[in-house]
Amino acid sequence: MPSNAPHSSGLQRLIAQLAPLLIVCAIVFALPVLLNNDFLLNKVARYLVLGILTISLGLSWGFGGILNLGQAMSFGLGSYAMAMALKLKTVPVHTGASGLPDFMVWNNVQHLPWFWEPFRSLTFAIAAGLIVPALVAAALGWFMFRGRVTGVYVSIITLATMVVINLVIIDQQSYTGGFNGITDLAQLEIFGVAFDAYGRATYYLVASCVLLSLLVAFAFTRTKAGLIVQAIRDHESRVRYFGYDVALYQIFVFALSAAIAGLAGMLYTVVMEFASPTFLGVQLSLSVVVWCAVGGRQSLVGAFLGAVLVAGMQGALSESAAFLETWTLVMGALFVLVVLFLPKGLAGLAQVVWRWIVQRRQAAGRGVAQGVGQTEGST
Amino acid sequence: MSPHLDLRDVSVSFNGFKALNALNMSVRKGELRCLIGPNGAGKTTALDIICGKVKPSAGTVSFDGTALQDLEEYEIARAGVGRKFQVPSVFRELSVSENLDVARARRTSVLGNLRWNIGNSGREDIERLAELVGLTEQLDRPAAYLSHGQTQWLEIGMLVAQDAELILMDEPTAGMTAQETRKTAELFARLKGKHTLIVVEHDMGFVKAIGDIISVMHMGQMLAEGTAAEVEAHPEVRRAYLGSGGISHA
Repeated sequence: MPSNAPHSSGLQRLIAQLAPLLIVCAIVFALPVLLNNDFLLNKVARYLVLGILTISLGLSWGFGGILNLGQAMSFGLGSYAMAMALKLKTVPVHTGASGLPDFMVWNNVQHLPWFWEPFRSLTFAIAAGLIVPALVAAALGWFMFRGRVTGVYVSIITLATMVVINLVIIDQQSYTGGFNGITDLAQLEIFGVAFDAYGRATYYLVASCVLLSLLVAFAFTRTKAGLIVQAIRDHESRVRYFGYDVALYQIFVFALSAAIAGLAGMLYTVVMEFASPTFLGVQLSLSVVVWCAVGGRQSLVGAFLGAVLVAGMQGALSESAAFLETWTLVMGALFVLVVLFLPKGLAGLAQVVWRWIVQRRQAAGRGVAQGVGQTEGST
Repeated sequence: MSPHLDLRDVSVSFNGFKALNALNMSVRKGELRCLIGPNGAGKTTALDIICGKVKPSAGTVSFDGTALQDLEEYEIARAGVGRKFQVPSVFRELSVSENLDVARARRTSVLGNLRWNIGNSGREDIERLAELVGLTEQLDRPAAYLSHGQTQWLEIGMLVAQDAELILMDEPTAGMTAQETRKTAELFARLKGKHTLIVVEHDMGFVKAIGDIISVMHMGQMLAEGTAAEVEAHPEVRRAYLGSGGISHA
């Protein structure tokens, strides 16, 4: 009996932890039924993609304690990987005979550069969109975490690295499209299914990736390795004295987070129909931090919802006439308020409210039991 | 029999201050060695040297035939050395059972730890450990909510979970009540023999209760070694503790 009880309580806890995740995903999948508007659906899909990006930051920041201010770098790399493949699939209208991308023709490039060549394969591009960000993160992580760089210095290094890559992309116009990015793309097509940015197929693709990202990230946090990563967040040096190579764990979670961000980047290109240097810009990268903090960085679902809600609000505010000039101010104020009063974000708030409800119900139950006891005693 | 742990002429200095000055110490397998000495004698530094937190500027540390002084901290831990810190060091945001689980470092590689623990294997092990250190009721509470004494106990439990051959304890009873201290002494008596322990302590009552051999350090060097009665009678030890009212009031 005693060996059975903890087992079932572990399973119950697993179900309790998975429940919010599954409920949120069910709502995401059900949304097209309610929203019969392709334009709106595309917009929501965009916010969902930003949600995936924020999940990836939640993993490295909330669980690993690594505040990556350059999270958009991985996002941008994924986005460009997809854009390069889709660009090579366009029917060249204004281009040269060899099917060279239009911006290369305008920049007098004669032959397709060697690093563009493998992107003729969509499979390669998708693999690259995941693996390249992960490898770049692992290499960066190798130098940082082997050198025991921590805290704010990690943030500075990641931010600076992203800015460098951003500048290189803008500078190398003939190979990257420069400031304009890569535009005028073909539609993504997998197994005969065409993913029109405004179509349902694309929405469901994004929704599936939301579910996948949440499950992968959640599964990781439930492994022993995920637990050790959280222990490193709490007390890095203590973990070493148990025989764990801390740097390797940090590199792993950093790279996993980058791969998820890369996935989000690829989807963003599909939803937006272009790739741009702003996708790995400072503004987006810092916005992700705000979304993550508002949603609750130690909750994957919280981080996701934070992104969808706040990015949605940002979109609505920046388009409304009243807040056209001041919406960034509203966002800043929101961030300050959350940091001051909700250190665990909306997820923390939800937890407090849920506990309060449970306690009240238990108290009410006890009250009834007591009442019964009293009446029994009096008779 | 060659010593289990052997420190030879270990020196270390911080900004010109010689914290350890050609320290020599050897400990046999299964022994419980108490390390005492006035403040600043270098007791904690000696433990730091063994577990790799501080690298010696000269001298060697050998454990079970392995030279420890050139290894990384995690490599030293894998060689079988566990350390409890003076300031209790636990993972505050993790629950007591998660803390103990992290400490059960059977596998240390990232990929080896990527499997999903759905069947709660090791749960019984963790419950047994929690019972050992009296934290059964607190298993699912975050470590941040524990009292100081409980946090000390948790870290001791984590060291038992780690199952290291050599356990280094830095003031394990600091902040504990008399009753808790007594329980700690009982636990240490049980660990002795199976594990080798080095305990830094100020509480002489505790030291007398648990220690076979006591090593007295002073100014980064080994001053005396022997049973409690022997070191108390030692003239050099009496001089080192002069003014603080003798060894029992240190």
